[in-house]
Amino acid sequence: MASKFGLAGGIPERRVRPIWDAIDSRQFKNALKLVTALLSKFPNSPYCLALKALILERMGKSEEALSLCLNAKEHLHKNDSVLMDDLTLSTLQIVFQRLDHLEMATSCYEYACGKFPSNLELMMGLFNCYVREYSFVKQQQTAIRMYKLVGEERFLLWAVCSIQLQVFCGNGGEKLLLLAEGLVKKHVASHSLHEPEALMVYISILEQQAKYGDALEILSGKLGSLLLVEVDKLRIQGRLLARVGDYAAAAIIFQKILELCPDDWECFLHYLGCLLEDDSNWCNRAITDPIHPPKFVECKISNLTDEVFDSRMSNASEFVQKLQGNTGNNFARCPYLANIEIERRKCLHGKGDDGKLMEALIQYFFGFGHLACFTSDVEMFLEVLTPDKKAELLGKLRESSASISAVPAKVLGQSITLFKIQELIGNMSKLTVVELEGSVVQMVEMYCKNLPLSKDLDSQESMHGEELLSLACNVLIQLYWRTRNVGYFVEAIMLLEFGLTIRRHVWQYKILLLHLYSHLGALSLAYEWFKSLDVKNILMETVSHHILPQMLVSPLWVDINNLLKDYLKFMDDHLRESADLTFLAYRHRNYSKVIEFVQFKERLQHSNQYLVARVEGPILQLKQNAVNIEEEEAVLESLKCGIHFVELSNEIGSKSLTFNEDLQSRPWWAPTSERNYLLGPYEGVSYYPRENSMTEREANVRSIIERKSLLPRMIYLSIQSASTSLKENLEVNGSVSDPKIPSELKILLERYAKMLGYSFTDAIEMVLGVSGGQKSFEVFGSDLIDWINFSVFLNAWNLSSHEIGLANGRCADSILEKYVSDKVSSMETLITSPWVDLPILVQLVTESLAWHGLVIQSCVRSCFPSGKKKKKTGFADQSCLSRIRDSVLSLCNTLEKVRKWLKEQINRPEDENMETLLSSLRKKEQIEGPGQVFQIIETFTSSIHDTELGERISQSLKSWSHVDVARKIVAGKCTVLSEFLRICDSKSKLFQALKQQIAQA
Amino acid sequence: MTTIRRFCCNDLLRFTSVNLDHLTETFNMSFYMTYLARWPDYFHVAEAPGNRIMGYIMGKVEGQGESWHGHVTAVTVAPEYRRQQLAKKLMNLLEDFSDKIDKGYFVDLFVRASNTPAIKMYEKLGYIIYRRVLRYYSGEEDGLDMRKALSRDVEKKSIIPLKRPVTPDELEYD
Repeated sequence: MASKFGLAGGIPERRVRPIWDAIDSRQFKNALKLVTALLSKFPNSPYCLALKALILERMGKSEEALSLCLNAKEHLHKNDSVLMDDLTLSTLQIVFQRLDHLEMATSCYEYACGKFPSNLELMMGLFNCYVREYSFVKQQQTAIRMYKLVGEERFLLWAVCSIQLQVFCGNGGEKLLLLAEGLVKKHVASHSLHEPEALMVYISILEQQAKYGDALEILSGKLGSLLLVEVDKLRIQGRLLARVGDYAAAAIIFQKILELCPDDWECFLHYLGCLLEDDSNWCNRAITDPIHPPKFVECKISNLTDEVFDSRMSNASEFVQKLQGNTGNNFARCPYLANIEIERRKCLHGKGDDGKLMEALIQYFFGFGHLACFTSDVEMFLEVLTPDKKAELLGKLRESSASISAVPAKVLGQSITLFKIQELIGNMSKLTVVELEGSVVQMVEMYCKNLPLSKDLDSQESMHGEELLSLACNVLIQLYWRTRNVGYFVEAIMLLEFGLTIRRHVWQYKILLLHLYSHLGALSLAYEWFKSLDVKNILMETVSHHILPQMLVSPLWVDINNLLKDYLKFMDDHLRESADLTFLAYRHRNYSKVIEFVQFKERLQHSNQYLVARVEGPILQLKQNAVNIEEEEAVLESLKCGIHFVELSNEIGSKSLTFNEDLQSRPWWAPTSERNYLLGPYEGVSYYPRENSMTEREANVRSIIERKSLLPRMIYLSIQSASTSLKENLEVNGSVSDPKIPSELKILLERYAKMLGYSFTDAIEMVLGVSGGQKSFEVFGSDLIDWINFSVFLNAWNLSSHEIGLANGRCADSILEKYVSDKVSSMETLITSPWVDLPILVQLVTESLAWHGLVIQSCVRSCFPSGKKKKKTGFADQSCLSRIRDSVLSLCNTLEKVRKWLKEQINRPEDENMETLLSSLRKKEQIEGPGQVFQIIETFTSSIHDTELGERISQSLKSWSHVDVARKIVAGKCTVLSEFLRICDSKSKLFQALKQQIAQA
Repeated sequence: MTTIRRFCCNDLLRFTSVNLDHLTETFNMSFYMTYLARWPDYFHVAEAPGNRIMGYIMGKVEGQGESWHGHVTAVTVAPEYRRQQLAKKLMNLLEDFSDKIDKGYFVDLFVRASNTPAIKMYEKLGYIIYRRVLRYYSGEEDGLDMRKALSRDVEKKSIIPLKRPVTPDELEYD
């Protein structure tokens, strides 16, 4: 690294090189020794100081590093003779950035540039500072100064990009684009342009101002030759022509592209759009979410006369025929799919014929029906058919499949396609239970029968027929939903585990299993499979939703902590380094990427999941430390007593959120993390189009964040409130405690009540009603935990305010105790039944009860200040003490009930659990009901033919054991319960200690 | 049915189903973004009807003198779209760009020595094993450096296989 620098701040390179080498090899101690020696020779060298600061920062000594940096900065400023080179400044900048003091680095560069106004290198450094700060206006000004200094094209474009950034990501008006256009125009007149990217920027500026004609003129002029790839140029030309409304010319251009790239589907849609003079392709770009583009082709009903429409469509058909003739090979699907699209457009225009559309689909099936992508290719076309027609089509496809191919892999592919089409058109819900069972049996038999096809495949390659097991799982879960027979559910698990025994890399199985295990309550197993997906980097943003929500309400604290930590680290790292990458794009003159990078950073910054994780992280910390009030207070202090979170709660309504999760990979029964159809009654549907549920999700996330981010502050205030109330009682002269605490807590309680949909007084009435037994818990609905939290904080507030004078102030105790008793006595035996109520119970103990426990700890601490067992005397004290005693007893009681129940579950003999689980499958002599698929697997594995299946598959089949899976499920559920028990134990210990402390009083 | 276009940042949020495949590495953000910032013409994505991502290729151009060449860093296709010669299309695109626009001498790539299906595919596309790199992958598995000569290398000098294997520190580029 040092070799790049030559003389640095007047220090010979040979002295600096060993220091950089030591830093690069992370030998910081050694580096520190070297730099200290160097500093003794050059005590006032800002470069040496910066270098030492850099090393100290890497060693974690932030404060020392900062003071050295400031020292260096001072030397730079006060001593005119000091060399002010970019190396010194950029070293300082690295440290300042890592210390979160970007502004100081910027001020150093600003100073240096003021002193040496014609030093280009320093100015680039300053530009870089503004890039890091996202100060687009200052970027623009600096770039213009550089441009004026040396007249280089790149600096002009830096300025232009900075202007575009002001328009797209800042608050600059669109008028600024005119300025950018003027700058480029002037430069072109005197110097022309030399980089293809510069031309692209120029065109984009014109396009953004809807000056399509001007853009076309430039493209077809001399500058157009900068674009070296012909097709790229044609694409832009076609787009501009279409946007200017010259559809005829645009169609010709798209035709040209298709002749060069006959498989370009998007281009075909543009072509067709232009023929029909339909601008939907061009108008809707801005409103379409780039992450979740529509599956369906948007188009308008054409206004063309019938005659013109007919003639254009027949032109299109002719052209498509020609393309089909030219392509020859079997892999270009576009010219064939194009036929279907033409028929679909005719239907939409009212001039079509379902028969012809179906015929086109069947033709496509002949050519490509064996491909895994057939169904997704044709999905959008099936939409225009009525349910009856869809069923008719399925029948026709079945008939034709018999005659197509004799190649086994192709036959298999087609059969899978038929199952997928059946699933897609919603046909499954019309089948009876027996028919569905028949279908699933067929799928699994087909899978087993075709395993020999994969005999010679490498273990890394996906096997023939893998999709069958996912399809079968979908049907089994449908059967479970209909019949509520858990046997189907267990069978689906067995089937997928069986598939993963044969080939352990099928991520589709892993995701399905993850959801099945989550639903069943074996969350530790779900997490195991999640980990095996190796979700890292950007996948954390798109895939975590499969596991994160369940984990957040589970007792698996260590795992959830890791999940949150890794995810937040990824996001924070990216947000930190993104600006440097943007500068890299500037340097390499890839200007379009500059805008893209900044927009992408904003997209991630506004991620709903990121925001949730930033709230849930601290809440988890609070949950984990709730058994020790001192530690909890330290956590709260690090969170600034929750003030920022209250601000977040205030602002969330107006914040824009992005949704980057990939929901396509979710199972049909849980299309978003908020929905799980299996929790509700059977609705007679088997296929849910993944409708855009963004609005619903957005409202949901906002309300979660709004409520959750109030928690840290409410906890803090409750603790304070409890302690001041007692102090008030204890001090004879009633020395005034901070009156703001109860009033702030009251405001937050009012807000909390409002979020739950009630006025403060009504909400109080509600919790009193439930605690007094006049109302049932059902009135709380799905907000149960929030309501109980409300009662806990209400109780804390009541301690110090007495405004409403709750009887004994013990409604929180009784609500907790009542709810737990109800639940524990009514919960099903857990091993074979899905996990529905447990997460609520976990939340109740780890959240509501924990917060209540803190209030009590605070009270007790106030009664026995500085750990003295000897209490102060006083009348009020006695009544308080007895109230606290009652609360502690009640909590002990509540926890004891949970613990007893958990122990009963955990201590059930394993054999008994296994038997219960497996008995749901083994029903000999029975032709209906769950177990049929299971039998197929068992029979198949008991009669393996090594030669037929090849060694690899045979070996893996031999390792299959359903007993192992059953044991794993039992153990997995017990792990979760044991973790929960561990938490209950630690809480129980705390309350026992408090009980003793009070008893000794 | 492939619309091949430049890869953009938003595609990072859409390539999940491709990258969940265990053979496809998910790199860190600065890796992808450095490629996008420096070699956007070497980073392409293929889309299917319904705007589904089929696969993508990322690469770069590097070297000096006669070793100026295109490099394939990653090429991957989602299982749903395999066996349709998509990888070939993507490779051809990169080769074409290296050949005609950047005027490189050859294109090279590294592959795990155990990844027989991939090696076979590259051989079909005209790549030969130029040399073996010992313990290239995480210091464990050997890598094969495969090359294909471009039109500028008239005598095909760049693809004469080396007789002995090399170690990772002997490599000219990372």
